[in-house]
Amino acid sequence: MKNKLLKVLLALSISLFYTSCSKQDVKPHEGKKFSYYPPGILKPSLSGIGRKGDNYIYAPGIRFPLESAPAYINSQVYGIGGYLGPQGSLCDNRNYQYPWSDNYCEKRSWKMPLCHGGKGHQGVDIRSSSCEKKKYYAVAVENGVISSIGKYTVTLRGVSGRTYRYLHLDPNSLQIRRGQQIRRSQRIGLVSDYMGKTKTSIHLHFDMQQTIKIGNRSKKVFVPPYSSLIDAYKRLLQGRP
Amino acid sequence: MRILLISIFLFSFSHAQSGLLDVVWPKPNLKQQKPSIPYPSVLTQGIKNTALPIYIPSNYAYDKKMIVVAEQNFYAISFLLDGAIINISGDKTYQETISSENPEFSAITKNTAPVEYNKAEGIVTANFNKHNVNYILSIECDDPESDQRCTISMVSTLYSKLIMVGGKQ
Repeated sequence: MKNKLLKVLLALSISLFYTSCSKQDVKPHEGKKFSYYPPGILKPSLSGIGRKGDNYIYAPGIRFPLESAPAYINSQVYGIGGYLGPQGSLCDNRNYQYPWSDNYCEKRSWKMPLCHGGKGHQGVDIRSSSCEKKKYYAVAVENGVISSIGKYTVTLRGVSGRTYRYLHLDPNSLQIRRGQQIRRSQRIGLVSDYMGKTKTSIHLHFDMQQTIKIGNRSKKVFVPPYSSLIDAYKRLLQGRP
Repeated sequence: MRILLISIFLFSFSHAQSGLLDVVWPKPNLKQQKPSIPYPSVLTQGIKNTALPIYIPSNYAYDKKMIVVAEQNFYAISFLLDGAIINISGDKTYQETISSENPEFSAITKNTAPVEYNKAEGIVTANFNKHNVNYILSIECDDPESDQRCTISMVSTLYSKLIMVGGKQ
Protein backbone atom coordinates (compact mmCIF):
# COMPACT_ATOMS: atom_id res chain seq x y z
CA MET A 1 0.00 0.00 0.00
CA LYS A 2 2.85 2.32 1.02
CA ASN A 3 4.70 1.38 -2.18
CA LYS A 4 1.64 2.15 -4.28
CA LEU A 5 1.29 5.54 -2.64
CA LEU A 6 4.95 6.32 -3.28
CA LYS A 7 4.55 5.30 -6.93
CA VAL A 8 1.54 7.58 -7.37
CA LEU A 9 3.36 10.48 -5.66
CA LEU A 10 6.39 10.01 -7.87
CA ALA A 11 4.24 9.88 -11.01
CA LEU A 12 2.44 13.04 -9.87
CA SER A 13 5.68 14.91 -9.21
CA ILE A 14 7.05 13.90 -12.63
CA SER A 15 3.87 15.09 -14.28
CA LEU A 16 3.92 18.39 -12.34
CA PHE A 17 7.52 18.90 -13.40
CA TYR A 18 6.64 18.42 -17.07
CA THR A 19 3.53 20.54 -16.76
CA SER A 20 5.60 23.41 -15.35
CA CYS A 21 8.12 22.96 -18.18
CA SER A 22 5.38 23.02 -20.78
CA LYS A 23 4.21 26.44 -19.65
CA GLN A 24 7.51 27.97 -20.71
CA ASP A 25 9.03 28.17 -24.17
CA VAL A 26 10.87 24.97 -24.72
CA LYS A 27 14.48 25.67 -25.60
CA PRO A 28 16.58 23.15 -27.46
CA HIS A 29 19.37 21.34 -25.67
CA GLU A 30 22.51 23.06 -26.87
CA GLY A 31 25.69 21.11 -27.39
CA LYS A 32 29.00 21.98 -28.94
CA LYS A 33 28.18 20.11 -32.10
CA PHE A 34 24.52 19.27 -31.92
CA SER A 35 21.29 20.59 -30.46
CA TYR A 36 17.79 19.23 -30.27
CA TYR A 37 14.38 19.96 -28.88
CA PRO A 38 13.29 17.49 -26.20
CA PRO A 39 11.31 14.38 -27.16
CA GLY A 40 7.64 15.07 -27.81
CA ILE A 41 8.11 18.75 -28.70
CA LEU A 42 6.89 19.01 -32.28
CA LYS A 43 7.88 21.94 -34.48
CA PRO A 44 5.94 23.85 -35.60
CA SER A 45 3.48 23.34 -32.78
CA LEU A 46 0.58 23.13 -35.20
CA SER A 47 2.12 19.94 -36.60
CA GLY A 48 0.61 17.91 -33.79
CA ILE A 49 0.87 16.86 -30.18
CA GLY A 50 3.86 14.74 -29.31
CA ARG A 51 4.52 12.54 -26.32
CA LYS A 52 5.89 15.36 -24.23
CA GLY A 53 7.82 14.00 -21.28
CA ASP A 54 8.37 10.58 -22.78
CA ASN A 55 12.17 10.48 -22.64
CA TYR A 56 12.31 6.72 -22.30
CA ILE A 57 14.94 5.09 -24.51
CA TYR A 58 12.97 2.24 -26.02
CA ALA A 59 15.91 0.85 -28.00
CA PRO A 60 18.99 1.39 -25.85
CA GLY A 61 22.35 1.08 -27.55
CA ILE A 62 21.17 1.03 -31.17
CA ARG A 63 23.36 2.49 -33.85
CA PHE A 64 22.21 5.63 -35.62
CA PRO A 65 20.47 4.51 -38.86
CA LEU A 66 22.49 6.78 -41.15
CA GLU A 67 26.12 5.92 -41.70
CA SER A 68 27.45 9.43 -41.33
CA ALA A 69 26.74 12.73 -39.58
CA PRO A 70 25.45 15.32 -39.82
CA ALA A 71 21.86 14.25 -40.11
CA TYR A 72 18.73 16.19 -39.29
CA ILE A 73 15.51 15.02 -37.71
CA ASN A 74 12.70 17.43 -38.49
CA SER A 75 9.36 17.56 -40.23
CA GLN A 76 9.09 16.78 -43.94
CA VAL A 77 5.47 17.84 -44.07
CA TYR A 78 5.67 21.08 -42.08
CA GLY A 79 9.27 22.01 -42.94
CA ILE A 80 10.17 24.48 -45.67
CA GLY A 81 8.88 23.19 -48.99
CA GLY A 82 6.78 20.52 -47.29
CA TYR A 83 3.23 20.28 -48.50
CA LEU A 84 1.90 21.93 -45.34
CA GLY A 85 5.01 23.98 -44.63
CA PRO A 86 6.23 27.46 -45.62
CA GLN A 87 6.79 27.97 -49.32
CA GLY A 88 10.28 27.30 -50.53
CA SER A 89 12.61 24.58 -51.59
CA LEU A 90 12.82 21.25 -49.82
CA CYS A 91 16.55 21.77 -50.16
CA ASP A 92 16.46 25.05 -48.22
CA ASN A 93 19.46 25.21 -45.86
CA ARG A 94 17.13 25.74 -42.91
CA ASN A 95 15.91 22.18 -43.33
CA TYR A 96 19.50 21.03 -42.91
CA GLN A 97 20.25 22.64 -39.56
CA TYR A 98 20.08 21.80 -35.89
CA PRO A 99 18.18 21.77 -33.61
CA TRP A 100 16.43 18.50 -34.28
CA SER A 101 12.73 18.27 -33.59
CA ASP A 102 10.72 15.16 -32.92
CA ASN A 103 8.08 14.25 -35.50
CA TYR A 104 6.80 10.98 -34.03
CA CYS A 105 3.03 11.51 -33.59
CA GLU A 106 3.02 14.38 -36.09
CA LYS A 107 -0.48 14.77 -37.56
CA ARG A 108 -1.47 11.96 -39.88
CA SER A 109 -4.79 10.44 -40.82
CA TRP A 110 -3.92 6.92 -39.71
CA LYS A 111 -4.23 5.05 -36.44
CA MET A 112 -1.44 5.20 -33.87
CA PRO A 113 -2.49 4.11 -30.38
CA LEU A 114 0.36 5.86 -28.54
CA CYS A 115 -0.41 9.27 -30.08
CA HIS A 116 -2.84 11.93 -28.94
CA GLY A 117 -6.28 11.14 -30.35
CA GLY A 118 -5.09 7.72 -31.47
CA LYS A 119 -3.63 8.99 -34.76
CA GLY A 120 -0.21 10.14 -35.91
CA HIS A 121 3.16 9.52 -37.50
CA GLN A 122 4.57 6.10 -36.69
CA GLY A 123 8.25 7.03 -36.74
CA VAL A 124 10.60 9.91 -37.45
CA ASP A 125 11.84 11.46 -40.68
CA ILE A 126 15.56 11.98 -40.98
CA ARG A 127 17.35 14.12 -43.57
CA SER A 128 20.89 13.15 -44.47
CA SER A 129 23.86 15.57 -44.55
CA SER A 130 22.77 17.36 -47.70
CA CYS A 131 19.83 17.50 -50.09
CA GLU A 132 21.26 14.93 -52.48
CA LYS A 133 19.62 11.60 -53.14
CA LYS A 134 21.46 8.29 -53.57
CA LYS A 135 24.53 9.59 -51.74
CA TYR A 136 24.19 8.65 -48.08
CA TYR A 137 23.83 5.13 -46.74
CA ALA A 138 21.28 3.90 -44.25
CA VAL A 139 22.79 1.19 -42.05
CA ALA A 140 21.64 -1.52 -39.68
CA VAL A 141 20.92 -0.26 -36.19
CA GLU A 142 21.62 -3.67 -34.67
CA ASN A 143 22.46 -7.23 -35.72
CA GLY A 144 19.50 -9.05 -37.20
CA VAL A 145 17.83 -10.42 -40.27
CA ILE A 146 16.22 -8.65 -43.21
CA SER A 147 12.73 -9.99 -42.71
CA SER A 148 11.15 -8.29 -45.71
CA ILE A 149 11.79 -5.94 -48.58
CA GLY A 150 8.67 -4.25 -49.82
CA LYS A 151 8.25 -1.86 -52.72
CA TYR A 152 9.83 1.00 -50.76
CA THR A 153 10.34 -0.48 -47.31
CA VAL A 154 13.14 -2.55 -45.83
CA THR A 155 12.40 -4.30 -42.56
CA LEU A 156 15.11 -5.40 -40.18
CA ARG A 157 14.21 -7.71 -37.35
CA GLY A 158 16.87 -7.15 -34.73
CA VAL A 159 18.21 -9.79 -32.36
CA SER A 160 16.48 -7.81 -29.62
CA GLY A 161 13.15 -8.79 -31.22
CA ARG A 162 12.42 -5.21 -32.24
CA THR A 163 11.43 -4.53 -35.83
CA TYR A 164 12.90 -1.52 -37.61
CA ARG A 165 11.58 -0.15 -40.89
CA TYR A 166 13.56 1.93 -43.36
CA LEU A 167 11.42 3.71 -45.97
CA HIS A 168 12.26 5.51 -49.22
CA LEU A 169 15.68 4.00 -49.93
CA ASP A 170 16.68 3.83 -53.57
CA PRO A 171 15.62 0.30 -54.61
CA ASN A 172 18.54 -0.10 -57.00
CA SER A 173 21.03 0.66 -54.26
CA LEU A 174 20.00 -2.05 -51.79
CA GLN A 175 23.00 -3.94 -50.45
CA ILE A 176 20.94 -6.65 -48.78
CA ARG A 177 18.51 -9.41 -49.72
CA ARG A 178 15.49 -10.94 -48.01
CA GLY A 179 16.48 -13.37 -45.28
CA GLN A 180 20.04 -12.09 -45.05
CA GLN A 181 21.64 -11.95 -41.61
CA ILE A 182 23.24 -8.56 -41.23
CA ARG A 183 25.53 -6.93 -38.72
CA ARG A 184 25.12 -3.63 -36.92
CA SER A 185 26.43 -0.76 -39.11
CA GLN A 186 26.17 -2.84 -42.30
CA ARG A 187 24.97 -0.84 -45.27
CA ILE A 188 21.36 -1.31 -46.32
CA GLY A 189 20.80 1.21 -49.11
CA LEU A 190 20.98 4.83 -50.15
CA VAL A 191 18.62 7.47 -48.81
CA SER A 192 16.32 8.70 -51.55
CA ASP A 193 12.80 9.94 -52.24
CA TYR A 194 11.34 6.67 -53.47
CA MET A 195 7.77 5.77 -52.60
CA GLY A 196 6.70 3.92 -55.71
CA LYS A 197 4.63 6.24 -57.87
CA THR A 198 3.87 8.57 -54.97
CA LYS A 199 6.06 11.62 -54.58
CA THR A 200 7.96 12.31 -51.38
CA SER A 201 11.00 14.28 -50.27
CA ILE A 202 14.56 13.00 -49.87
CA HIS A 203 14.64 11.47 -46.42
CA LEU A 204 14.70 8.30 -44.42
CA HIS A 205 11.54 7.38 -42.57
CA PHE A 206 12.65 5.24 -39.65
CA ASP A 207 10.37 3.51 -37.20
CA MET A 208 10.55 0.85 -34.50
CA GLN A 209 8.00 -1.71 -33.43
CA GLN A 210 8.13 -3.76 -30.31
CA THR A 211 5.80 -6.00 -28.39
CA ILE A 212 4.67 -4.78 -25.01
CA LYS A 213 3.25 -7.24 -22.53
CA ILE A 214 0.78 -6.20 -19.91
CA GLY A 215 -0.64 -8.92 -17.70
CA ASN A 216 -1.63 -11.78 -19.98
CA ARG A 217 -2.13 -9.50 -22.98
CA SER A 218 0.40 -8.19 -25.45
CA LYS A 219 0.46 -5.81 -28.36
CA LYS A 220 2.95 -4.88 -31.03
CA VAL A 221 3.20 -1.10 -31.28
CA PHE A 222 5.27 1.58 -32.94
CA VAL A 223 7.28 3.08 -30.08
CA PRO A 224 8.89 6.53 -30.03
CA PRO A 225 12.35 6.39 -31.64
CA TYR A 226 13.51 9.97 -31.00
CA SER A 227 15.18 9.48 -27.58
CA SER A 228 16.97 6.36 -28.78
CA LEU A 229 18.19 8.28 -31.84
CA ILE A 230 19.49 11.21 -29.78
CA ASP A 231 21.48 8.76 -27.72
CA ALA A 232 22.75 6.94 -30.84
CA TYR A 233 23.64 10.18 -32.61
CA LYS A 234 25.70 11.44 -29.67
CA ARG A 235 27.71 8.23 -29.86
CA LEU A 236 28.10 8.62 -33.61
CA LEU A 237 29.43 12.16 -33.13
CA GLN A 238 31.88 10.87 -30.53
CA GLY A 239 33.19 8.35 -33.04
CA ARG A 240 31.79 5.27 -31.31
CA PRO A 241 28.67 4.40 -33.26
CA MET B 1 -3.89 14.76 -18.00
CA ARG B 2 -1.99 13.30 -20.93
CA ILE B 3 1.34 14.18 -19.28
CA LEU B 4 0.20 12.43 -16.12
CA LEU B 5 -0.68 9.33 -18.13
CA ILE B 6 2.68 9.40 -19.89
CA SER B 7 4.48 9.76 -16.55
CA ILE B 8 2.65 6.75 -15.17
CA PHE B 9 3.35 4.92 -18.43
CA LEU B 10 7.08 5.62 -18.10
CA PHE B 11 7.18 4.82 -14.45
CA SER B 12 5.70 1.42 -15.05
CA PHE B 13 8.52 0.67 -17.51
CA SER B 14 10.96 0.56 -14.61
CA HIS B 15 10.56 -3.19 -14.45
CA ALA B 16 10.92 -3.65 -18.21
CA GLN B 17 12.02 -7.08 -19.28
CA SER B 18 11.89 -9.11 -22.45
CA GLY B 19 10.88 -12.70 -22.98
CA LEU B 20 8.65 -15.15 -24.80
CA LEU B 21 4.90 -15.21 -24.87
CA ASP B 22 3.23 -18.48 -23.90
CA VAL B 23 1.63 -19.79 -27.07
CA VAL B 24 -1.83 -21.20 -26.57
CA TRP B 25 -1.83 -23.85 -29.26
CA PRO B 26 -5.14 -24.38 -31.02
CA LYS B 27 -6.83 -27.74 -31.09
CA PRO B 28 -6.56 -29.43 -34.49
CA ASN B 29 -9.14 -28.01 -36.86
CA LEU B 30 -10.79 -31.08 -38.28
CA LYS B 31 -12.80 -28.96 -40.68
CA GLN B 32 -9.69 -27.60 -42.36
CA GLN B 33 -9.14 -29.63 -45.48
CA LYS B 34 -5.78 -31.35 -45.67
CA PRO B 35 -3.70 -30.04 -48.54
CA SER B 36 -4.31 -32.16 -51.62
CA ILE B 37 -0.68 -31.75 -52.56
CA PRO B 38 2.19 -30.96 -50.20
CA TYR B 39 3.00 -27.34 -49.58
CA PRO B 40 6.13 -26.12 -51.40
CA SER B 41 9.36 -27.19 -49.72
CA VAL B 42 10.44 -23.55 -49.38
CA LEU B 43 7.58 -23.28 -46.89
CA THR B 44 7.82 -26.61 -45.08
CA GLN B 45 11.60 -26.51 -44.76
CA GLY B 46 11.62 -22.86 -43.80
CA ILE B 47 9.21 -23.18 -40.92
CA LYS B 48 10.03 -26.60 -39.54
CA ASN B 49 11.84 -25.20 -36.48
CA THR B 50 9.59 -22.25 -35.87
CA ALA B 51 7.80 -22.60 -32.55
CA LEU B 52 4.59 -20.71 -33.22
CA PRO B 53 1.50 -21.26 -35.36
CA ILE B 54 2.31 -20.27 -38.94
CA TYR B 55 -0.48 -18.53 -40.83
CA ILE B 56 -0.50 -17.60 -44.50
CA PRO B 57 -3.27 -16.59 -46.92
CA SER B 58 -4.67 -19.76 -48.49
CA ASN B 59 -4.63 -18.17 -51.97
CA TYR B 60 -0.84 -18.23 -51.95
CA ALA B 61 -0.15 -21.46 -50.08
CA TYR B 62 1.29 -23.13 -53.17
CA ASP B 63 3.29 -20.19 -54.44
CA LYS B 64 6.76 -21.65 -54.93
CA LYS B 65 8.27 -18.18 -55.22
CA MET B 66 7.32 -17.23 -51.69
CA ILE B 67 10.21 -16.02 -49.55
CA VAL B 68 10.38 -17.48 -46.09
CA VAL B 69 12.40 -15.96 -43.28
CA ALA B 70 11.96 -18.09 -40.20
CA GLU B 71 13.60 -18.30 -36.82
CA GLN B 72 12.58 -20.12 -33.69
CA ASN B 73 10.35 -17.36 -32.35
CA PHE B 74 9.54 -15.40 -35.45
CA TYR B 75 8.66 -15.79 -39.11
CA ALA B 76 8.00 -13.55 -42.08
CA ILE B 77 6.74 -14.81 -45.43
CA SER B 78 6.56 -12.61 -48.52
CA PHE B 79 4.61 -13.19 -51.71
CA LEU B 80 5.86 -11.18 -54.66
CA LEU B 81 3.13 -10.08 -57.03
CA ASP B 82 3.26 -7.83 -60.01
CA GLY B 83 3.68 -4.35 -58.48
CA ALA B 84 2.76 -5.41 -54.96
CA ILE B 85 4.15 -7.44 -52.09
CA ILE B 86 2.16 -9.30 -49.48
CA ASN B 87 3.91 -10.04 -46.22
CA ILE B 88 2.81 -11.91 -43.14
CA SER B 89 4.83 -12.16 -39.96
CA GLY B 90 4.29 -13.72 -36.55
CA ASP B 91 6.28 -13.08 -33.41
CA LYS B 92 6.12 -14.67 -29.97
CA THR B 93 8.68 -12.40 -28.30
CA TYR B 94 8.07 -9.31 -26.23
CA GLN B 95 10.50 -6.54 -25.41
CA GLU B 96 8.85 -4.72 -22.52
CA THR B 97 6.64 -5.68 -19.63
CA ILE B 98 4.60 -2.98 -18.04
CA SER B 99 2.42 -2.92 -15.01
CA SER B 100 -1.24 -3.73 -15.44
CA GLU B 101 -1.88 -0.57 -13.38
CA ASN B 102 -0.64 1.49 -16.30
CA PRO B 103 -3.83 3.27 -17.43
CA GLU B 104 -2.66 4.23 -20.92
CA PHE B 105 -1.49 0.84 -22.07
CA SER B 106 -4.18 -0.97 -20.17
CA ALA B 107 -6.75 1.00 -22.17
CA ILE B 108 -4.94 0.32 -25.44
CA THR B 109 -4.85 -3.42 -24.93
CA LYS B 110 -8.37 -3.67 -23.50
CA ASN B 111 -9.84 -1.81 -26.45
CA THR B 112 -8.01 -3.88 -29.02
CA ALA B 113 -10.28 -5.37 -31.66
CA PRO B 114 -9.58 -8.96 -32.73
CA VAL B 115 -8.07 -7.54 -35.90
CA GLU B 116 -7.06 -3.94 -36.52
CA TYR B 117 -6.86 -2.59 -40.05
CA ASN B 118 -4.82 0.45 -40.95
CA LYS B 119 -3.37 2.22 -43.96
CA ALA B 120 -0.23 4.17 -43.10
CA GLU B 121 2.62 5.34 -45.33
CA GLY B 122 0.66 3.79 -48.18
CA ILE B 123 0.91 0.31 -46.65
CA VAL B 124 -2.24 -1.54 -45.60
CA THR B 125 -2.03 -3.79 -42.59
CA ALA B 126 -4.07 -6.15 -40.49
CA ASN B 127 -2.67 -6.56 -36.97
CA PHE B 128 -4.03 -9.36 -34.88
CA ASN B 129 -3.26 -11.58 -31.94
CA LYS B 130 -4.04 -15.29 -32.12
CA HIS B 131 -2.95 -17.97 -29.67
CA ASN B 132 -1.14 -15.23 -27.72
CA VAL B 133 1.12 -14.49 -30.74
CA ASN B 134 1.19 -11.14 -32.54
CA TYR B 135 0.81 -11.18 -36.31
CA ILE B 136 0.97 -8.53 -39.02
CA LEU B 137 -0.41 -9.05 -42.51
CA SER B 138 0.53 -6.27 -44.92
CA ILE B 139 0.30 -5.25 -48.57
CA GLU B 140 2.67 -2.73 -50.09
CA CYS B 141 2.17 -1.44 -53.63
CA ASP B 142 4.12 0.45 -56.26
CA ASP B 143 1.21 2.82 -56.51
CA PRO B 144 -0.40 2.79 -53.07
CA GLU B 145 -2.93 5.51 -53.89
CA SER B 146 -4.58 3.83 -56.83
CA ASP B 147 -3.68 0.12 -56.69
CA GLN B 148 -6.83 -1.67 -55.56
CA ARG B 149 -4.74 -4.28 -53.81
CA CYS B 150 -3.51 -1.66 -51.34
CA THR B 151 -6.91 -1.26 -49.74
CA ILE B 152 -8.41 -2.24 -46.41
CA SER B 153 -10.94 -4.28 -48.33
CA MET B 154 -8.19 -6.39 -49.90
CA VAL B 155 -6.26 -6.94 -46.69
CA SER B 156 -9.45 -7.93 -44.86
CA THR B 157 -10.21 -10.44 -47.61
CA LEU B 158 -6.74 -11.92 -47.22
CA TYR B 159 -7.17 -11.98 -43.44
CA SER B 160 -10.37 -13.98 -43.82
CA LYS B 161 -8.48 -16.54 -45.91
CA LEU B 162 -5.64 -17.20 -43.51
CA ILE B 163 -4.86 -20.81 -42.83
CA MET B 164 -2.47 -22.39 -40.38
CA VAL B 165 0.17 -24.34 -42.25
CA GLY B 166 2.51 -25.45 -39.51
CA GLY B 167 4.48 -24.62 -36.41
CA LYS B 168 6.61 -26.63 -34.00
CA GLN B 169 4.76 -27.28 -30.78
